[in-house]
Amino acid sequence: MEQWLESAPGWTNVAVFFGLGALLLLVVLGFVTYAILAERKVMGFMQGRIGPNQVGGRLGLLQTVADVLKLLLKEDTIPKAADRPLYVLAPIIAFTPSFMVLAALPFTDAFRFADIGVGLLYYIAVSGLTTIGVVTGGWASNNKYALLGGMRAAAQMISYEIPLVMSALGVVLLAGSMNLVDIVTAQDNVWFIFAQPLAFLIFFIAAVAELNRVPFDLPEAESELVSGFHVEYSGFRWAFFMLAEYVYLFAMAALITILFLGGWHPVAFLGWIPGSVWFALKFCAIVYVLIWFRATFPRVRADQLMEFAWKVLLPLSLVNIVLTAVIKSLFF
Amino acid sequence: MSGTDIAFFLLALAAIAGGVTMLQLTNVVHMVIALVMTFLGIAGLYVLLSAEFVAVVQVLIYSGAITIIMLFAIMLTRHHADDKERQTTGGVWHRAVAAISVLAFGLAVYFGIRRLDFGADGSALAADNAREIGKWLYSYYTIPFEIVSVILLVALIGAIVLAKKDGKGAEDK
Repeated sequence: MEQWLESAPGWTNVAVFFGLGALLLLVVLGFVTYAILAERKVMGFMQGRIGPNQVGGRLGLLQTVADVLKLLLKEDTIPKAADRPLYVLAPIIAFTPSFMVLAALPFTDAFRFADIGVGLLYYIAVSGLTTIGVVTGGWASNNKYALLGGMRAAAQMISYEIPLVMSALGVVLLAGSMNLVDIVTAQDNVWFIFAQPLAFLIFFIAAVAELNRVPFDLPEAESELVSGFHVEYSGFRWAFFMLAEYVYLFAMAALITILFLGGWHPVAFLGWIPGSVWFALKFCAIVYVLIWFRATFPRVRADQLMEFAWKVLLPLSLVNIVLTAVIKSLFF
Repeated sequence: MSGTDIAFFLLALAAIAGGVTMLQLTNVVHMVIALVMTFLGIAGLYVLLSAEFVAVVQVLIYSGAITIIMLFAIMLTRHHADDKERQTTGGVWHRAVAAISVLAFGLAVYFGIRRLDFGADGSALAADNAREIGKWLYSYYTIPFEIVSVILLVALIGAIVLAKKDGKGAEDK
């Protein structure tokens, strides 16, 4: 793909990248299908249940496919009092950025779609657009639970974006670049999870909050808000919100792999295994930990959530930046 | 016409269309969404100028943070977002004066930028955008940079002081 990225633009280029983009979309959809199944299976295993085991053999391999089919065939309802144009537009605004951020992620040194100098910032900036979709969806539903969920989502995503960026700054300082490819290259000798353990912790917690997952799933708290910002949505519009969420799971797990786990770099003396396999392994480990979190943590309260972001994570990430700067100027 | 021109016209159209739609709409929340379209169009124009850092920051700050804060403010303060009573005020004369001043402004801008000379080509800066901006900022503009951060801090503290004044009852709890 390298030569395609660097060649002069033309219609062939457009066709090639369109095809590759469509391919990536299919891969991501496949991931989402099986991530949902894996989530239900792993959670079932952790809670002493079996999980889906009817559709598609003993492992329930076609369960999610059946669920998606059901969603697509379901009646599409729009509440009478809803703000119709925004209600229709909101799932699109929420989903589009989630797929756009994938463009900046380098999966291996050969398989990547862009080489953006500010790749990390691009991810953060574009993923912030989803919040607008969530808030609009919550507002346009004209339902108090939906509105509350939308407001919570906005407050949470804005608050946790700050520690997220601040902790990633430590990595940027060490790598000397915001280009994700350069960041992976800089981890040739030591992964940043070892050089930046504090940053990794903060980033991971903030990432869970950005993904709206347990223990930070207040925007969709089903036991207090019915189900949050998408309570009025049904059918494929609801599916779009869920899809956006799981595509972000994919993107965030990939981003953590790139920033802290050395991307496609192998573990010492196991270099004969190709980089793509290493990337997939690390990626799966992150996804597994995220599912594990979901099965084991209780939900935090709204005030705890905000205090944790502003009074714990933010100061810690500032300390981390200062420490990293001192270490870098002394030892590198 | 090259691909860049097509991209420029599409993005410029998106930016202007967003602005015009915003003026035409009556619902405040709809206006904010139209505004996002303008912001994104402008970010796209920055990309065309190879100013990727500025483009990304535009999306991050304007389309992301500022829009959300505006939505928050609207949703928390107004129950009736729709402004149905809005009527065009003023007669023919008002409109004529407005149209003429818009035209005059457009002409002034056109003649202003038609012969504008930006000096040396800045494409060397485009190679490693963020790094170059950082170098310039910290080598030549350190004091203005610091002053800006102090101003932001003052604004932050001012906002807290203003907000505290309202919530006397909340403090007693």
